[in-house]
Amino acid sequence: MSRVDRVGLGWRPELAAGILAHVDAIDVVEVIADDYVAAGLRDLRALRTLGTQVPVLLHGVGLGLASAAPVETRRLDGLARVIGAVEPEAWSEHLAFVRGGGRELGHLAAPPRSEATLAGLAANVARARAVVGTAPALENVATLIDPPGSERAEPVWLAEVPAVTGCDLLLDLHNLHANAVNFGFDARAALRDLPLARVRQVHLAGGAWITARSGERRVLDDHRHDVPEAVFELLGELAALAPAPLTVILERDGDYPTFARLLEELERARAALSRGRMQAAA
Amino acid sequence: MSASLEAYLARLYLDRDARAAFVADPGGAARRAGLNEAEVATLEHVDRVGLELTARSLAAKRAQRTVRRSWLRRLLARWRWRS
Repeated sequence: MSRVDRVGLGWRPELAAGILAHVDAIDVVEVIADDYVAAGLRDLRALRTLGTQVPVLLHGVGLGLASAAPVETRRLDGLARVIGAVEPEAWSEHLAFVRGGGRELGHLAAPPRSEATLAGLAANVARARAVVGTAPALENVATLIDPPGSERAEPVWLAEVPAVTGCDLLLDLHNLHANAVNFGFDARAALRDLPLARVRQVHLAGGAWITARSGERRVLDDHRHDVPEAVFELLGELAALAPAPLTVILERDGDYPTFARLLEELERARAALSRGRMQAAA
Repeated sequence: MSASLEAYLARLYLDRDARAAFVADPGGAARRAGLNEAEVATLEHVDRVGLELTARSLAAKRAQRTVRRSWLRRLLARWRWRS
């Protein structure tokens, strides 16, 4: 990974033209690995070529590593093929389960924050490392439900992940913010409880309130809204505390604003990083 | 978490009828699904608002993906027709 803080964007087909036109303002792009598992050589070569213009990270969404069930070998083989062809700087996956009993959830689900899940995660990461050749950074996920079967608070459970897996954390600050709002904990205090020396990658995104039939509201991490100010503040706080250079990726998955607006968000991220680093140096 | 609890959660998140039966009688539904008593106890205190919103959010995600796939399929079909 880089020796300086970097800021970049999640690669999406809708953003490709803007990214290529503004590659001087984007330090790094993160590509969804699962989109290329079934890709032919031509597409994989194109992705590798992209990597000659701007550093590429690969991000997995479909392994379901935080699970009691063993990650399927065919999924790891598919990912290994993409990583072998593209040679990204690094790859990452989520602290989530994505299927169960033969049912595909179609998205990420927060696992119980328990000892048993940590054991399943450690075994699955070991399998992934053996097949792919390198270990992923592991990302905290947002959740609308307090995960059934949890024995630990989120920061405590997350803090154990690097110890049992040997992996760095990819810290999604909007996920942390959303969970803090939804379940009533202090995101800044949670940040300070995490093993920040193991954080090298960061995600930023936005979300929206959704309302249950009872009238209770929770924040949905939908990647369709601007990054809230609270998340930029968390980024500044993280930069003040984390010793390693940070690679920050802005994720947007719909309701796309103008590309200029996305570039403004990247600049706000750079400003937050600078603020935090200056605070640490003072 | 056991694989059986994971499978049951997946079912609750995806299957409206299973969710309705669970909300009506969490302990009974979880026992009938073959979960052990510790898992049943966990589910008797489930975050019901979270269950409702998670199910709704997952359904919306799947619907979005279907629309996106349809859009891509039409685009690919048009490209193949032209080429």
